[in-house]
Amino acid sequence: MSEQIIFKREEDMPYHAISFAPMTWNKTGSWRYLRPRFENKIPPCHEGCPAGQNIEGAMVLIGKGKVLEAWELFKEENPFPGVCGRVCFHPCESSCNRGDFDEAVSINALERFLADASSRQGRRLSRTLEKREGKVAIIGSGPAGLTCAYHLARMGYEATVFEALPVLGGMLRVGIPEYRLPKKVLEEEIDQILELGVKAEVNVRLGEEFLLSDLKEYRAIFLAMGNHRSKRLGIPGEDAQGVMSGLEFLKNINLGREVVLGKRVAVIGGGNTAFDAARLALRLGAKPFILYRRTREEMPAFLSEILEAEEEGIEISYLVSPVCLIAENGRISRLECVKNRLGPPDEDGRRRPVEIKGSNFMLQVDQVISAIGEEADFSALPKTVKTQENAVLTDERGATKHKGVFAGGDIIHQPRTVVHAIGSGKRAAIFIDCLLKKRKWEDLFEALRIGERGSLSMRRYLQEESLRLPLSLKTVSLKDLNLDYFDYKKRSKMPKAQISKRLGSFAEVNLGFSEETAVAEANRCFNCGVCNLCDNCYIFCPDVAILKQGEEEPNVIDYDHCKGCGICVEECPRDALVMEEEGK
Amino acid sequence: MKKIMVGNHAVSWGVMLARAEVISAYPITPQTTIVEELSVLCADGRLKAKFIPVESEHSAMACCIGASAAGVRTFTATSGQGLALMHEMLHWAAGARLPVVMANVSRALGSPWNIWGEQSDSLSQRDTGWLQLYCESNQEVLDTVIQAFKIAEEIRLPVMLVLDAFFLSHTAEPVEIPEQSLVDDFLPRYQAEFRLDPKDPHSFGCLSPPEYFMEFRYKMQQSMLQGKEVSRRVDEEFGGSFGRKYGLIEAYRCEGADLILVTSGTIASTARVVVDSLREKGRKVGIVKVRLFRPFPKEELWEVLRDAEKVAVVDRNVSFGVGGIFAHEIRAAFCNEKARPPIFSYIAGLGGRDVTPKVLNDMVYQTYERPEPEEQSVWVGMRS
Repeated sequence: MSEQIIFKREEDMPYHAISFAPMTWNKTGSWRYLRPRFENKIPPCHEGCPAGQNIEGAMVLIGKGKVLEAWELFKEENPFPGVCGRVCFHPCESSCNRGDFDEAVSINALERFLADASSRQGRRLSRTLEKREGKVAIIGSGPAGLTCAYHLARMGYEATVFEALPVLGGMLRVGIPEYRLPKKVLEEEIDQILELGVKAEVNVRLGEEFLLSDLKEYRAIFLAMGNHRSKRLGIPGEDAQGVMSGLEFLKNINLGREVVLGKRVAVIGGGNTAFDAARLALRLGAKPFILYRRTREEMPAFLSEILEAEEEGIEISYLVSPVCLIAENGRISRLECVKNRLGPPDEDGRRRPVEIKGSNFMLQVDQVISAIGEEADFSALPKTVKTQENAVLTDERGATKHKGVFAGGDIIHQPRTVVHAIGSGKRAAIFIDCLLKKRKWEDLFEALRIGERGSLSMRRYLQEESLRLPLSLKTVSLKDLNLDYFDYKKRSKMPKAQISKRLGSFAEVNLGFSEETAVAEANRCFNCGVCNLCDNCYIFCPDVAILKQGEEEPNVIDYDHCKGCGICVEECPRDALVMEEEGK
Repeated sequence: MKKIMVGNHAVSWGVMLARAEVISAYPITPQTTIVEELSVLCADGRLKAKFIPVESEHSAMACCIGASAAGVRTFTATSGQGLALMHEMLHWAAGARLPVVMANVSRALGSPWNIWGEQSDSLSQRDTGWLQLYCESNQEVLDTVIQAFKIAEEIRLPVMLVLDAFFLSHTAEPVEIPEQSLVDDFLPRYQAEFRLDPKDPHSFGCLSPPEYFMEFRYKMQQSMLQGKEVSRRVDEEFGGSFGRKYGLIEAYRCEGADLILVTSGTIASTARVVVDSLREKGRKVGIVKVRLFRPFPKEELWEVLRDAEKVAVVDRNVSFGVGGIFAHEIRAAFCNEKARPPIFSYIAGLGGRDVTPKVLNDMVYQTYERPEPEEQSVWVGMRS
């Protein structure tokens, strides 16, 4: 620290104001009354991902060509990036700020890209060496069950999965057709879970081969049996030969069983199962058509499914309900239908179909596939596991009323999607760990939650508590960004197989990004709220008070000299800095 | 060597001979041809200076401040509205004690829009800490540019020389071009005591709190007062080297005069003709031309004006609510003197209106006729 120079007389002073010694006795930081601080915030994609994947981090890594690191980052939260990269309905993209700027980043396609890239390079996760006391039983090997088993195994627990079917994967295996999710991709990701030491038993159905009370050696149980029972149409003739549920159809094909369809296949329903069934029938050489009781607006299927089915030439009739199935010689031959109009909205907000009297008509059919929804079968559950309206009741942890029993996936109250199932499996793993360690869990939501929509971070859970940075409560919106730094750039399109090549084949429709496309697409990401070391703060700081720590290291603020002008905060393209009042 | 040139080019050639190193300016009528000629001189290599085009006069002066702080000889030129836009930076240049030289082609300030000669622009800047020299001829313009650098660099204050729009700026006269070697001897390379230098870092113009600020201002005032003596000496030395000198003021035919007309700029040339003809008629009339306005040459004026019975001041400017500025300054300067002559104040030639011999004649006769000056400045040459 230098001495302050004091001039006693006018004659001693220079003729103009000039410094003769450094001002280290009075650093300019003392002028500051506002203080900038680096603070990563919540990007809307991350908040919007029910599996809580660190999307913004992966985008930065892919953008720099570090694809395998991006894959590892995703794997910290979700064992199924290859699956999700194909079948997820990607709420991340509908949350993407870029969507309000030009077009959302193709996050889903990039997820698939990084999974495929790691698969091509034979990348495997290393097995956890740490062993923890306590065995956990998992009922059902769908995305919820396997995710729970995966995270428990990574924490060192012995997890055993009980599966009713002869194969693992649940709905991923038997409910999704090959052309959307190739078996090879699913099996590889399941193999990686098993390689971590997860045990699996197949052909064991709860309520038939075992009961919950048989699982006394397990300190916790995770119920994730899924909804495998199709709803019935409830009309005359439903039990005739040639009538099958969509789920049954998909399961039979996926398990390699022979299915004989006629030419004209009527698929009833507007959900994803209906579309999967119709598109699968098309590939088996049939001429399927879809009957839906409302309009395209109200259809619950993903838009991409509807568009691809239309591309493939599948006819869709709207505002049509089946009335009666008529068999000839024991086999279905005609379907009587009635036309509807839309009435007032029902409790879920969609307009209710109202039958138009006397508009009945007859269709010639060889096969009817009904796909109007699925439900769970809770007959094997003890009374202590409370259920209500086709769902197991759980608390915010996913725990049921029965101590030590958790539930997740399609059997609890949450949207019935793969990624919600994965999220619930991860959540169960976290709170089963708490239970087995006898750790208090009430404070964990504040520490782990990514935004307001229920996503939790496994990465943060596994961090030493003392090392956990405080979590921002702010989700970044478009208006928080400095858009001067971004150019309009179209979203990269997923290449697809030609229609002619899709028919008569189970080959995958979507073909994936090239590395070049993937890197360019990842670089479209705004990295909302997250410092990506762009160095804009360093370039703009008029007081050279942003200090570089080295390549790939975050910058730090030199508070001895930062005057609190706020230029760094203003010029940060992605809202990764905050301004606070000094002394707070 | 003599050349026929307009006043603006006399400025440019003076700058070339003074070997200015950085020029930054923004064009404005009637100053534009100064900048054009300088850019030509820079482009063809006759003047080895960095020419920095800018987007405004404010930036031009900011540029000059930076360059001068770095220790190089710096020049700019402007006029009227441009000078007004520089105002803030004029204070800064003076306070930072930077010897920037500027030529101001004096022009009326709008509104209403007017591009013609009037001193209100430069006189509006009289409190900024710049020395001000008002020129009468193109030769004086060229010579004053060279003198201005020498004065500025010695007392570390900026100097503004003023030439009347069009009467000088766009009027050609024969101008003696001094030998470069003689100019180099008269005006050696500028040596700054302090300069911006990354190898020897100092902060310039840093915050000066109340306990120091006043001392800096006191030093400025002392240097400004010293500027009068330095200006006189530099003019004498210039005369010794080049055979021409102008004084801080010039008294013309004031011997035994009972009435003295005080003028500045090109009106002085017209007044010389009027005085010659009045003297022929037996009227004991003389003129004083004020060349140095800041610092104000009170003693010099007093020496000449004290014995006159009446003094008439012609102002091509107006300070609204007071009147002619030169008259006002002279009255203020003399107010503590006993037995001072009455000061008659006239305003003429605003916005470039011609101040003809007849206008000056009328002024002289009015002054003779009135026993006492009017309370307010009298406006002459009005439409009637």
